[in-house]
Amino acid sequence: MTDRERSARFEELFGSYGADIVAYCGWRTGSASDAQDAVAEVFLIAWRRLDDLPEGDGARIWLYATARRVIANQRRSIRRRIALQERLAREPVSAAEGPSGFDATVREALSRLGPRDREVLLLAEWEGLSPAEIAAVIGCQPVTARGRLHRARRRFRVVFESLVSSGKEEDHEQLGELRSPA
Amino acid sequence: MSSSESFEALRRANPRARAGFGPAVDAAAEAVRARVTAASEARTVRPRASRRAVGVSVLGVSIAAAAVAVVLSLGSPGGGPGVESATAAVKKAGTVTASSAERSGTARVRIMHTGTVWAASLIRWNGSDLALGRDTPQRPGQATSEFLVVDGMMYGIDPEGGWMELGPPSSIDPGSGTTPAEYLAAVREDVGGETLRRITGAMAGLTTTQLGGSSTAYRGTVAAGLIAPRIGFKEGQAIRMFPFGYVAHGAAADPSAPLDVVVTVGGDGVIHRIAVSWPSWTYTIDYSKLGATVAPQAPVHARPLNRGVPSN
Repeated sequence: MTDRERSARFEELFGSYGADIVAYCGWRTGSASDAQDAVAEVFLIAWRRLDDLPEGDGARIWLYATARRVIANQRRSIRRRIALQERLAREPVSAAEGPSGFDATVREALSRLGPRDREVLLLAEWEGLSPAEIAAVIGCQPVTARGRLHRARRRFRVVFESLVSSGKEEDHEQLGELRSPA
Repeated sequence: MSSSESFEALRRANPRARAGFGPAVDAAAEAVRARVTAASEARTVRPRASRRAVGVSVLGVSIAAAAVAVVLSLGSPGGGPGVESATAAVKKAGTVTASSAERSGTARVRIMHTGTVWAASLIRWNGSDLALGRDTPQRPGQATSEFLVVDGMMYGIDPEGGWMELGPPSSIDPGSGTTPAEYLAAVREDVGGETLRRITGAMAGLTTTQLGGSSTAYRGTVAAGLIAPRIGFKEGQAIRMFPFGYVAHGAAADPSAPLDVVVTVGGDGVIHRIAVSWPSWTYTIDYSKLGATVAPQAPVHARPLNRGVPSN
């Protein structure tokens, strides 16, 4: 591939899937700056491995799977950094991240799901991936992804409806039983 | 409530529908541009130590050329040939400095508010050893550093005075973020190139000023989110952090705010200072003794952590 062809392919890749990866990294990291950092890293890897990238929609799945690994590495790095920050930073707090702005009940319901349930559910509902595509992203059999998605949908629905119909305090004990393992 | 209502609510909460999503994609495009350009620059300056290395370097040149084409199409600040030259020079300085800082170095970090020192630290590293301390005027009897890692042993200041052994790495849970290796990894991430490349790779509107002693000052702006990219937590609140763990106050807390950046490069091609300023605040990192900082010494009379605990 010539430099011009590489540039065109990379441009097309970001143009087609950049927003998807921004959205995915956004809800996986919960922080705009970490999401931005992860997106940059994902596309740097894509740039380096442009010749190996699958064509068409396969590239999108490859990007999601790469983003998932990048975020896992980023989380390890953030744990280290926070420990260091706690030692070094002795300043008063002046800035705080505001609320993310999406519906509070949905967010509360999502927070009460286990991380696996939340991930497969949002890959399906927000990213529009099929169970087979989810399986490719998270590295499991399609039948496993389908089962996880089914359970995640059921759990989300129960939690969400409980939050809407009654107070959060009343639901707390009952919902604890629905959590899946981390 | 029907099943479809709960899932409609979930779909409406898709982050793509949020007001800030478009700007987030634009910011990500900018970050991609900076990262690809910095990586390409780093590859082009790799030394040609062997026949194989020559091949890598040639590949790097072609990748860099393609990267420039790509990043321009993703959105890049304009500029003539002089700006392109300054851009290349400041990025090269970032790479050279990161390479010089690989083995050892000293970084003096300071944040000023309305002309007075808000906080300051001195960080020295040499191989696996590390010293972190305040860089503020000392009181009589006060130790020079507050945290040391020497030969895999961690030392801290005893509240009753003097030094205290905090323990060997084996006494700390792996992955907790508090082992010496993890401290060093976090510091190296800041001083060992990633921070430098991110800042120098994203400078826009570059101007150059020749200083005395063969030094050059490169001035430009960088989005706050690229300088203070991390989120930490303090007293239950999320905070945005500069390199070396300083809280981004005021306008710097907004990741899209353009902050004024001055990178001073010495005649040796190494960055000596990065200064970031915004209304009423200045944040500086001064690098010195890169590759020539001596290793910190273990305190002579450090007491074990468990000494003084009453026994039954």
